[in-house]
Amino acid sequence: MDIELNDADLVRQIGVGDRDAEGELFRRMAPRIRLYGLRHLRDSHAAEDLTQQVLITTLEALRAGRLREPEKLASFVLGTCRMTILDLRRGAQRKERLLEQFGADLIGSPQSFIPRLDHERLTRCVQSLKERERAVVVMTFYDEQTSADAANFLGISEANVRVIRHRSIHQLRDCLGVTV
Amino acid sequence: MKRCANPMDSGVLADYWRAALASQEEEAVEEHLFTCDGCGQRLREVIALAEGIRALAREGSLRMFVSDAFLKRAAEDGLRVRQYAVAPGGRVECTVTAEDDILIGRLAANLSGVARVDFCMCDETGVERLRLEDVPVDSETSSVIFQESITYAKAMPSSRLILRLVGFDEGGTERPIGEYTFNHTRSLPG
Repeated sequence: MDIELNDADLVRQIGVGDRDAEGELFRRMAPRIRLYGLRHLRDSHAAEDLTQQVLITTLEALRAGRLREPEKLASFVLGTCRMTILDLRRGAQRKERLLEQFGADLIGSPQSFIPRLDHERLTRCVQSLKERERAVVVMTFYDEQTSADAANFLGISEANVRVIRHRSIHQLRDCLGVTV
Repeated sequence: MKRCANPMDSGVLADYWRAALASQEEEAVEEHLFTCDGCGQRLREVIALAEGIRALAREGSLRMFVSDAFLKRAAEDGLRVRQYAVAPGGRVECTVTAEDDILIGRLAANLSGVARVDFCMCDETGVERLRLEDVPVDSETSSVIFQESITYAKAMPSSRLILRLVGFDEGGTERPIGEYTFNHTRSLPG
């Protein structure tokens, strides 16, 4: 599709059977759903399953004209994500039937979804941080300490921990050459 | 990808990934992420950073100062922690084996009246070779918990290492806190 439709137009086009618009829905929403799935399910395969289920449920709704406010497509998809995860946690299994009905070829591969960082370079970048910066980064991402815990350990304020963390992430970004 | 008019702070994205936000704030972040692919891309980069740092921490190859929470987490991850606790003026016979994942020196210290602590690595004659400034201290246990790179330690020949803690009061006046001697015996072949 050459022209980027806004969400409301996309919904309307799908409602009248436009297959290109369905493809655009998948391309637009799949990465967002996958991220949501990674955050809540902590597993790339489970996130992929969620992506498929949510897209199929959304497509069913749009084809049937069940989304009454087309401009609220993003909210609808987010709500569907939340409901689907609740369903998944209840052990609901609709995936196989839905995949048989719709197929998953439009969804795309998750392989390159999360960028890969060069390990040696990351080591050098983390080692180049100041001692307190490195401690905050490790406490944040490995120890999974709250800002309050880190503040208590380091004898500084929570606000100060957040400032150090913000600064450290940006310093690592610059060192790694990524755009965090 | 459209430019984000109101980009989210990377610290907030990090907290979102860690599930450390209050539910209302988390919902607001998710609503934004479902309309903003620019912030979605930045979240992916934060995730890459988080996972990379997690992997680095698990390797034990960083030279850094840690907390008891770190050691607890490492134990939960099934990592084998070798730890030597030393009092000021004390010495310890130490080694590292192939099975060890994390190497820790726990330096007890009287930190009263100390505003800043520097950590010095000295050669066996006591000459300072490296100084790490303003290191984190565990005020609860009154100690400095130092992780030496396990990769470095496994390659190190038998030697004596002297660590020194130096304190500074609020006025910036320096005073020695303690010296700690590690007599390392290499137990790995090669």
